[in-house]
Amino acid sequence: MAYTAQITRANPTLIVFLLDQSGSMADPFGGEGSGRKADFVANAVNHALHDLVIRCTKTEEVRDYYHVAVVGYGRQVGVGLGGALAGMTVAPVSAVADNPARIESGYRRVPDGVGGYVETPVRYPVWVHAHAEGGTPMCRALQRAREIIEGWLSSHPRGFPPTVLHLTDGESSDGDPTNDGDALMSLGTDDGRVLLFNCHVSSSRSRKIEYPADDAVIRDGFARTLFRISSVLPENFLGAAQQLGVPAASGSRGFVFNADPSSVVQFYEIGTSLTGMPPHIWMGE
Amino acid sequence: MTWRVQTRHFVLPKEGSTAEECEDAVAFDAGALRFAVADGATEAFDARRWAARLAAEWVGAVSAPLSAAEFGPWLKEQGEWLHASWEGRKLSWYAEEKRRAGSYAAFVGLRLEASGKRMNWRAVALGDSCLVQRRGGELVAAFPLDSHEAFTSTPPLVPSSESLRETALTRLVEREGRAEPGDTFLLMSDALSAWYLETSARRDPRAEEFDSLLAASENGSLSELVRRERAAARMKDDDVAAVRVMLNDER
Repeated sequence: MAYTAQITRANPTLIVFLLDQSGSMADPFGGEGSGRKADFVANAVNHALHDLVIRCTKTEEVRDYYHVAVVGYGRQVGVGLGGALAGMTVAPVSAVADNPARIESGYRRVPDGVGGYVETPVRYPVWVHAHAEGGTPMCRALQRAREIIEGWLSSHPRGFPPTVLHLTDGESSDGDPTNDGDALMSLGTDDGRVLLFNCHVSSSRSRKIEYPADDAVIRDGFARTLFRISSVLPENFLGAAQQLGVPAASGSRGFVFNADPSSVVQFYEIGTSLTGMPPHIWMGE
Repeated sequence: MTWRVQTRHFVLPKEGSTAEECEDAVAFDAGALRFAVADGATEAFDARRWAARLAAEWVGAVSAPLSAAEFGPWLKEQGEWLHASWEGRKLSWYAEEKRRAGSYAAFVGLRLEASGKRMNWRAVALGDSCLVQRRGGELVAAFPLDSHEAFTSTPPLVPSSESLRETALTRLVEREGRAEPGDTFLLMSDALSAWYLETSARRDPRAEEFDSLLAASENGSLSELVRRERAAARMKDDDVAAVRVMLNDER
């Protein structure tokens, strides 16, 4: 059965964050008072990377259950995380952990043990910076992701296949992405084909579509295109979706259209929900 | 009647992990008739030390705590010891964040109490490490979980953090019963407990095989059995710990 391989240090998996950084990402989400999409999405990706690191942390060691790649596309198609990881196409999660571009300080409310809360200093690592410039060369971005994955698969033919988490706010400016999406999804390991999940964010207040199982509800032509290059959510992702209260069921595709900010956060949470470790509910959190 | 108590134990890390990475712990004092298994939560900070501490200190306590009223103050002491041991360490941002959440472990402890000709047992558990009592090849008691279907991926756990203690103690389970000569008790961490309960329910001879190998301290063969069961996906690939207590009279 596909998508059942255990994620281990010997057989890690790969997550590719594919990010639209076109000029329109400087626009706000639909709704008053919301900030730039680019800023929100960069924050969401940094948060997702943070959570990946934490889930792989054993006391003081980060175990390489994951490898990570980030591909941004806008004025150009660029690969890599910032800081000391610049130039690395794919980074093991331990290298991600130890090399944020910078660490910001802040405060978080935590229980004080006697029924109240106390502000505790925390550190927020930053790897991905917001960019919003140029067009939407989605086909070239998908091609670049495919090249990265092909390279990675040559040394990781076994285990849970790579997942591509693609976020965009508009139509492709370099042609129909169907063939490039299909080519990406035709790759795989002995445990299944590469998973491509797509999240479309919107500046309008249009009705959002989340994790549909068929395209009957989708009228928009571009949305249909993205739906068709979205993988069906394997069983183990559905559990995470259901825990988040997301309407996903057997047959649902990894696809969100007209996502609002909370949907973006959920998209990354679901897309990175697999780990080599059994999940535990942290009591009180 | 004089009781004779024979204790055996077995610990095996998950596949690909070393013994030093194993987060399951066993402790026992056959003279004091106390036995414990603790299973450090894989994602928690310093889980291996927390599990080892809980098992060893429970067995060595002046009065091994059983009720929530006894367990609470004892747990407070253990948590404070653990958190104090972390002070002054300069940590990376991710280790610091894990440390802030504290540590977690599942725990089960068994106390035998001889009273004239009678042998009573009392036990306490928080989480999914289990105690099984066998008599003549049959399961007489299993707790806090009694079926493999009752295991989930989110069991309650023993927290080291003060702020979570009160809530956790509401999930503490106590049980007591009577033992007879020939009875066997098994304390096991979750993967083994689930496998053992499922295998026993099917009357699969592998449960009996496991028990016989453990009784004979054939730990090499036990490891092979566990690895076979993991490979066949009949047992979850997790750290495994077991303590077997066999009661006999001296006649």
